[in-house]
Amino acid sequence: MAALEREQLLNVAQKAVNIALARGAAEAEAYVYDGKGTSVGIERGQITKSSRVIDRGLGIRVTVNRAIGFAYTNVMDRKEAVEDTALRAIGIARTSKPDADWHGFPEKNSYGQVENTFDRRIVELRSEDLVDTAAVMLETALKANKKVLAVEGGAGAAYQSVAIANSNGIATCDSGTIIECSLATVAKEGTTVTPVCFEFNSERNYNIDANWVGKEAARLALSALKTKRIETRNTTLILTQFALQELLQYTLVNAVKADSVQREQSPFKDEIGNKVTSETVTIHDDGLLKGGLRTAVSDGEGSPRQKTLLVEKGILRNYIYDNYAAKKEGKVSTGNASRAGYLSTPDIEPTNFRIMPGNTAPEQLINEMQDGLIIYYLQGAHSSNPVSGEFSVVATPAWKIEKGEIVHCSRGVMLAGNIFEVLKNVKLVASNERKIGQLVSPWLLVENVRVIGK
Amino acid sequence: MKDLLTRINNAATQKFGAKYAEARAQDLAKTMLTMKEGRTEVVKQGIENGVALRVLINGAWGFASVGSLEEDVLTRATSDACRMAKATSLRLKTPIKLSKVKVAEDNVHINGSKKPSEIPMEEKIETVAEINHSALCYDKRIKSCTIDYLDVTGTDYFASSEGAWITQDKLYVWARMAVTASQKGILTSSREEIGSTAGLEVFDIETPTILGTRLAKRAVEQLEAKTPKGGTFPVVLGPNVVGVFVHEAFGHLAEADLALAGGVLATKLGKKIGSDAVTFYDDGTLVGAFGSFKYDDEGVKTQKTLLVENGVMKGLMQNRETAQKFNTESTGNARAEDFRVEPIIRMRNTFMSPRDQTFEELVEVVKSGYYFKSFRGGQANLDGTFQVGIQEAYEIVNGEIGDPVRNASISGNTLETLFKVEAVGRDFELSPGRCGKGQTAFVCDGGPHIRVKEVTVGGSA
Repeated sequence: MAALEREQLLNVAQKAVNIALARGAAEAEAYVYDGKGTSVGIERGQITKSSRVIDRGLGIRVTVNRAIGFAYTNVMDRKEAVEDTALRAIGIARTSKPDADWHGFPEKNSYGQVENTFDRRIVELRSEDLVDTAAVMLETALKANKKVLAVEGGAGAAYQSVAIANSNGIATCDSGTIIECSLATVAKEGTTVTPVCFEFNSERNYNIDANWVGKEAARLALSALKTKRIETRNTTLILTQFALQELLQYTLVNAVKADSVQREQSPFKDEIGNKVTSETVTIHDDGLLKGGLRTAVSDGEGSPRQKTLLVEKGILRNYIYDNYAAKKEGKVSTGNASRAGYLSTPDIEPTNFRIMPGNTAPEQLINEMQDGLIIYYLQGAHSSNPVSGEFSVVATPAWKIEKGEIVHCSRGVMLAGNIFEVLKNVKLVASNERKIGQLVSPWLLVENVRVIGK
Repeated sequence: MKDLLTRINNAATQKFGAKYAEARAQDLAKTMLTMKEGRTEVVKQGIENGVALRVLINGAWGFASVGSLEEDVLTRATSDACRMAKATSLRLKTPIKLSKVKVAEDNVHINGSKKPSEIPMEEKIETVAEINHSALCYDKRIKSCTIDYLDVTGTDYFASSEGAWITQDKLYVWARMAVTASQKGILTSSREEIGSTAGLEVFDIETPTILGTRLAKRAVEQLEAKTPKGGTFPVVLGPNVVGVFVHEAFGHLAEADLALAGGVLATKLGKKIGSDAVTFYDDGTLVGAFGSFKYDDEGVKTQKTLLVENGVMKGLMQNRETAQKFNTESTGNARAEDFRVEPIIRMRNTFMSPRDQTFEELVEVVKSGYYFKSFRGGQANLDGTFQVGIQEAYEIVNGEIGDPVRNASISGNTLETLFKVEAVGRDFELSPGRCGKGQTAFVCDGGPHIRVKEVTVGGSA
């Protein structure tokens, strides 16, 4: 199965919309996905496996009397696939219940420009190239010190295209590439094994730094060997991007979603114009960010991606919307409809959730800290209370900073509190921005967080 | 199907140089629906058919997945997998070998009385609507209720170059329910999952009204709850929390791949790792349980695997690759979420065995501590650090259950904690759930009520 061309994908989408309308749908939308991923895997210190996954599918969403039906298939080489799927979607809409808040699919609109989201070299990549990338990363880590063990990791590259068409005339296609490598390590000395440390690099263009990933994964594991207990008290923390991603995705991210607000599941309800974080914090959702991991021309239902100001110097300015939640309030989508491929309907998700970088160098944050912790990996953030923002997590591990230097790590340290209070205590924003999934952020320095030592 | 998959395996072994080849085909239909506050947001129906091909060449794995049953597409995919495996094998120091297995030929049917494929969509929507209704009507302070429902039916096929040929019916029913409540600026949430491999009769025992009421009651109760004091306390854990502890804090470490990757249990076989009261199993044979199946995705028959007996480490969960390294046999724990991914070692129904104590006996000796009844997520690290979030908790004061407590979580080191298990109850309960390890697996976990001498309780008070 060779990758389908843009025109072919758009044709399938357009045809699906037309067939659904002809068969009795009041409105129709088709989402066609074509993806090819290649990866190599590291297990227990060596590269042991490689894999190629070709996934393709079609999802058709229709309405009949304002009731929604959705059907999908991944069997695209059958001639009747499109027709069958359209008929199933219509059948489901007929058995489902009408939705009074449904005001139609998105209308046609003009799209912004995206840059650095597609690299021909990734499409043409061979698995041998990935083996080389993984080998560089692995050897760098293992050479650093005999105590370092590579637990797992690998390198992967993917090329995917999405075409969306609907009965309001939307017809759009977007192709993108991604390449990444990652390594999980532990350090072992005698009977002491550190917690798993992890580093990765993920880019849309073919310029990942496998050497850096290997070096950092080794450095972090080695620095976790020396442990000491710390006491229970309130303290200052440097939250790195790993920690922020964990803490924010179940709390702050949930709070800015329009559907959470509409359903009274967000503490940000009625807070537009009010102070919600310290004034050092400015956040954009930027769906057009150059080279962003979630950057695309359109969102999962064909609305244009855009840059939306969410928090401006601590003041809440906006929520993120998909078409449904926007129309419910008489607004226009902010391009935040997200889909997990052809087998799902849209949900509201951030694109590139970008905490704007500050001017302080990360080394300076450490150097100027008299007494505190730097936090990378957290366990248990998904058990945070998504509604209230209360969290109680364990750092695996936490690194202690004294008089401007990292002196040892400490295991089993718990952090507890309310993320919205923590965000009000952000004192400094570093300049070291990086991309992790939907988060784009620098390190943050926060004060007065409850730390429970072991 | 058998002929097609056999021809593809033959091409891999005879033409492209594979030492071993397997083909897994899947023919599944899924129904999903999401309801929010009584509004049917969307009903979805999907077909997912495809083939996963895995080959072993020169000690390295090659894998290919395609959503097609066309012979030429499959032949090209297996040729790709073989070529990639050869490229990978060039840098291999320790080639992968597989343990021997009994080559199975079987045809597995499911005899549920309420097969999802035979129940009309309207009836499924009605069941979900009833849960929604009983949650929302429980109390005015309930603000939202989200329910996701899923059922899966179809067939999995497995053929290997060793001659295995297995067809297995698949049937899953699952639902996740979450409510939120609010009062005077305090927002609370509560969630539940149900899951079964038996069919929609799961709603005959856990009726929609019971489910909705339990969810709502918990969220409302938390509105009045205090936040816990941080520190070290004796605790009584309910079956639901024991289950997540057995799964997260212990179970993952007892997966042989993670044990080999530097986990703390790799060198513990035959050694004492917990108090005498601790006995753990991982059991794939429980009829109807969410983690049960007859053959795993390497064609190995499932079993009841003893992991810990009276505090002594007895076994790990193995696939064919790790079993060969441990010089033992696969325990049938190799599972793949679908045809898009390779099988890896996963748990099935993992639990602690009950003993002799009543709930009152467990609680009455605790002067000042907590009763943790129901969890909200949990996680563990290879070094044995675990964290379990708690969504329903109470104080224990002078041997009696006291006021409700909100947003607690517990943490500790698995092996230290296992030695602190003081007393084990006589009751038993399993909870269904989904486990993430890069892929999702349907599992159960559980056990009796237990008392632990001390754990670290995270709290902001």
